[in-house]
Amino acid sequence: MTVERIVVVGAGAAGFRAAERLRQLGFDGEVVMIGDEPRKPYHRPAVCKALLCGSRKARDVTLEAAVELDVGWRLGTRAIGLDTARHAVLLPGGEEVGYDGLILATGGYPRSLPGAPRHDPRVRVLRTVEDAEGVQAALRTSRLPAVVVGGGFIGCEFAASMRAMGREVIVVNNSAKLLHRFGDAIADAAGDLHAGHRVDTRSNARIRKWDTGRDGVGLHLDNGDVVFAACVVLAVGSTPSVEWLRGSGLRVDDGVFCEPTLFAAGVDDVAVAGDIARWPNLRFDPVPRRVEHWITAVEGGRAAAENLLAGKWAAKPFTPLPRAWTSQFDVRVQHVGMPALATDTVPLDAGVTGFVRAGNLVAVATWDRPHAMLDWTATLDRLLPVPTAGRRPRARPPRDGIPARVLIERHYASRHSFDGPNGIMTGQ
Amino acid sequence: MRRGRGRATVVRVDNDRCELYGICVAEAPEVFRLSDNRLRHGRRIDPADEIAVAAAARNCPMQAIRLRESAR
Ligand SMILES: Cc1cc2nc3c(=O)[nH]c(=O)nc-3n(C[C@H](O)[C@H](O)[C@H](O)COP(=O)(O)OP(=O)(O)OC[C@H]3O[C@@H](n4cnc5c(N)ncnc54)[C@H](O)[C@@H]3O)c2cc1C
Repeated sequence: MTVERIVVVGAGAAGFRAAERLRQLGFDGEVVMIGDEPRKPYHRPAVCKALLCGSRKARDVTLEAAVELDVGWRLGTRAIGLDTARHAVLLPGGEEVGYDGLILATGGYPRSLPGAPRHDPRVRVLRTVEDAEGVQAALRTSRLPAVVVGGGFIGCEFAASMRAMGREVIVVNNSAKLLHRFGDAIADAAGDLHAGHRVDTRSNARIRKWDTGRDGVGLHLDNGDVVFAACVVLAVGSTPSVEWLRGSGLRVDDGVFCEPTLFAAGVDDVAVAGDIARWPNLRFDPVPRRVEHWITAVEGGRAAAENLLAGKWAAKPFTPLPRAWTSQFDVRVQHVGMPALATDTVPLDAGVTGFVRAGNLVAVATWDRPHAMLDWTATLDRLLPVPTAGRRPRARPPRDGIPARVLIERHYASRHSFDGPNGIMTGQ
Repeated sequence: MRRGRGRATVVRVDNDRCELYGICVAEAPEVFRLSDNRLRHGRRIDPADEIAVAAAARNCPMQAIRLRESAR
């Protein structure tokens, strides 16, 4: 294949780092970057933190490339279709952009809630710079509290941002605890922290009815409470932006179905990265899954570019240990691995929770323990090795589970004799 | 990153942004170190550490790490 033009669709973290990697590897054909946002790629995690609080402006969070990108930008342009048989991306107005290689990185959209009056400008989601500005504008319409629906990462960060801005905030959470996916210890600590900062949390709450009055938005909860808000943010998860790929010939179903190398299944000139890639991470098992974390998008973009240039038969599996962080007030919450796979959690140390599946440690989360996170990341890298080429991993059966006590002993016995975690997490 | 002789990569960390997550330490342990309430790091980078330092910069949760070239 002589590659002349590589098209990247989606100008977020994954698309940007893919384009950068193509140039680093010496690709000297044309690179076209199609993105529907009006601006160059920026640091999306800042949207519900520094950008929302106003401590950073949009221009402060633009991503910086390590090399000259020399990209043909098509910003403010939405890809509306893909024809893999004709190797063309379809744009509005009948325009087509042909490709020799294609990287798909269209990320995700925040989910909506059935019944939410999204036509009201005070009822919003948080994904883009413009969304942060829209929330700020809505907050100026009255002195009523802000409400966020959802007690996960983004909901909790939004609440912390509101308190930093001196606003009252109410979290309407349909689970019993904030950050409940992190295990009870971290969830309880998060609950105490937010309560201590006078965040008003309504747990196990569902919204029965909405009112959009002149003075504020009313939410009727199923326990009979009514809360009034200047602005309501829906932070109830996200869904991959793949509708535009229906009928493309690719397998689209909760993301784009990929091979372990991030090649889209069934074709040899399309690679996928970031939140939309549903691929088997062979470190864990052969089940294709999506990962919605920023570092995985950054490294996945690079892996997609490397593999696209290498070609399908020389491509290497993408096997990161996923890592994520969130800041809750001044507390750093981090995790490594795949907590969602776990059936059980074990306390490993003060502020350190292990996530266990069939006796195997599959993830670790820490509450303000960055040193411990470094040590456990190295340990997890050894416990979950990248399988060597040719050997597919077993779907780990529930065999001789390693008891948590043994895990802890092994961890502490080895923590001063690491081989060095050099490059392990990024799979370079 | 190719460069001529006599050039070096210089690391700068914006301490207003850095919140000490330690991602850079995992990526480039030869260059970055967390000690108590500070991030310590070398300034001029040994060429052998350049790839790791680039990984640290692009993965920094706070985008606090800047790399630039300077004459040695
Ligand atoms: C508010 C917020 C805070 C977050 N905070 C954290 C955090 O603290 N830590 C963490 O690990 N992760 C965080 N995340 C998740 C992280 O930002 C994502 O995992 C990451 O941005 C995914 O990168 P991506 O390139 O796959 O997608 P995106 O960054 O979503 O980029 C995709 C781009 O493609 C565009 N696009 C979509 N469809 C089309 C189309 N048809 N045509 C053209 N362009 C299109 C989108 O508009 C977008 O610009 C956060 C996410 C949000 C929304």
